[in-house]
Amino acid sequence: MTDSWQDPRSRRWRAVRGHAVLAVLGLLCVFPIYWLYATSLRRPGDVYSLSPLPWPLSWQSYADAASKVDVLGLLGNTTLVAALTSVGQLLTGLLAAYAFAAWEFRLKRVLYLAFVGTWLVPFQVTMLPNYVLLFQLGLLNTLAGVVIPTLCSALGVLLLRQHLAGFPKELLEAARMDGRSSWTTLWTVVVPNLRPALAALAILLFVNAWNEYFWPAMVLRRSNAMLQLGLRSFMGTEGDDWGPLMALAGLACLPVFLLYLVLQRHIVNAFVRSGLR
Amino acid sequence: MFVEVVAPAPGSPPPRAARPPLGRRVVAGAQPYLYLAPALALLGVWTYRPLAQTVQLSFYSWNLLPSTPMTPVGLRNYQRLIDLPDLGQAAVRTVVVIVGLLPFSVVIPVLVGLVTRQVRDRARVVYQAMVFAPTLVAPVASAAVWQWLLDPGAGVVNKVLGTRLNWLHETGSAQFAIIVITGWSVLGFATLVVSAGLAGINGDYGEAAQLDGASRGQITRWITLPLLSPTLVFLVLMTVLLSAQWTFPLIDTLTQGGPARATTNVYYLLWDYSFHSYDAGLGAAAGVLLFAAFGLVAAGLVRLSERLSFHDD
Repeated sequence: MTDSWQDPRSRRWRAVRGHAVLAVLGLLCVFPIYWLYATSLRRPGDVYSLSPLPWPLSWQSYADAASKVDVLGLLGNTTLVAALTSVGQLLTGLLAAYAFAAWEFRLKRVLYLAFVGTWLVPFQVTMLPNYVLLFQLGLLNTLAGVVIPTLCSALGVLLLRQHLAGFPKELLEAARMDGRSSWTTLWTVVVPNLRPALAALAILLFVNAWNEYFWPAMVLRRSNAMLQLGLRSFMGTEGDDWGPLMALAGLACLPVFLLYLVLQRHIVNAFVRSGLR
Repeated sequence: MFVEVVAPAPGSPPPRAARPPLGRRVVAGAQPYLYLAPALALLGVWTYRPLAQTVQLSFYSWNLLPSTPMTPVGLRNYQRLIDLPDLGQAAVRTVVVIVGLLPFSVVIPVLVGLVTRQVRDRARVVYQAMVFAPTLVAPVASAAVWQWLLDPGAGVVNKVLGTRLNWLHETGSAQFAIIVITGWSVLGFATLVVSAGLAGINGDYGEAAQLDGASRGQITRWITLPLLSPTLVFLVLMTVLLSAQWTFPLIDTLTQGGPARATTNVYYLLWDYSFHSYDAGLGAAAGVLLFAAFGLVAAGLVRLSERLSFHDD
């Protein structure tokens, strides 16, 4: 949207005000993360220092954390679980959202409510029966047991359906006229046009899976084989040892931050392009 | 002699045009169900089957040990829930959390979404990344860092404010702290949802209104917000239904429902009944009541949204 109908001074003033609001909010949001890494990089004797810059730098806290916890193993396991979970959720969600967007069918409303309804069923209500079922399937204490029960994300279905609701029906109709099957239409018409939404959703699902800790905690009772669990047990045993605790917490967040930094540009570009359409 | 002619019954089907053969119609009719099948199968096995089992469990008394049998107790679990004051108090605290989170999950994200449109591209990317960053922090990691920030002796918050408050262990401030920490981590996600919603709004409406002489505020109030309403309803619904879930890992790692139950919301109470008091039947009964209550609230919100939503058709 252009502001050509207003004079440049008021436009500049609005931009300054916008910058100020966003900068303050952004700094407030980022400060705890900054402090996490700042603390982890201080020398053990400086941990209680309030100086904004951690100087001189020291890797001692990371070395302490690594000596107590198998950091690489935790990272590997967590990456595997989060990747499998998010890909599975994206796939089941895409198929289901496509069904809701492209067809009118008798049970549509009921089945849609079945997805919305999962939000009403808290984890704490289903946890015990699910635990028993995993036990019967022999999947307790396995990573498969962590992944399989979470392969359908209602959030994914609902968000993709929101996006598909605005999808031009003419395109679907045109593909059908061309004699394409619904399966071909999904992958050649819908998915390419939905890429920004899919990319954003993929990141969200991956981050959710990465950060999930209650379900893994129940399934992997014998070990602390995933990052969140390792961090929690570290919090319990080394509670006030702030340097190593912040180092481990920082490592637990680092892969997600890097992933976001790499992919964020694609998402934003996609948003801008869809805005210009 | 005239015979009164019976009019055709009002429900009789109108004559139909020729239809495609039955086989093809069945295949075409089954298509949406086939696409839905994987997701529905997972829902059935991992959400609705256990829900049904929990309903069943709520009529039994059981201490979670495989060796002890479950004894049927009829409605006694529900009777106990109503007699105990816990549930009502926890429900009130849950409402407090939800209301406290709405600014973080709806109000600020909408403001940020509107303000970011007035900022140039490169700066916008930086601000969005800064606001989004906390969403990426794992709940346990954010519990760790906030415990450090709020530490009564050495924490930054107390040093900056010049206080020595034990934020997480005083009844007055613990709930407040949990709300702020949760809000901090939800804000970025909600902002992303709002940005996506704003990006999906066709700019032609705003331009048309602009040509007609509408001011920026008028465009926001009468065009942007109504078109954004499905997104807003989505966010409110999400906050109502999921806020107690969001706070759960923080409560479990930071306050364990205390001090003096000040941060015990309904989910934590449920968890407490099942896994601290080993009273699976009582926990199940509380879960069933919770499910029913949230179902009513959600149905109301969905109905409201259908009345309020405007669609960009």
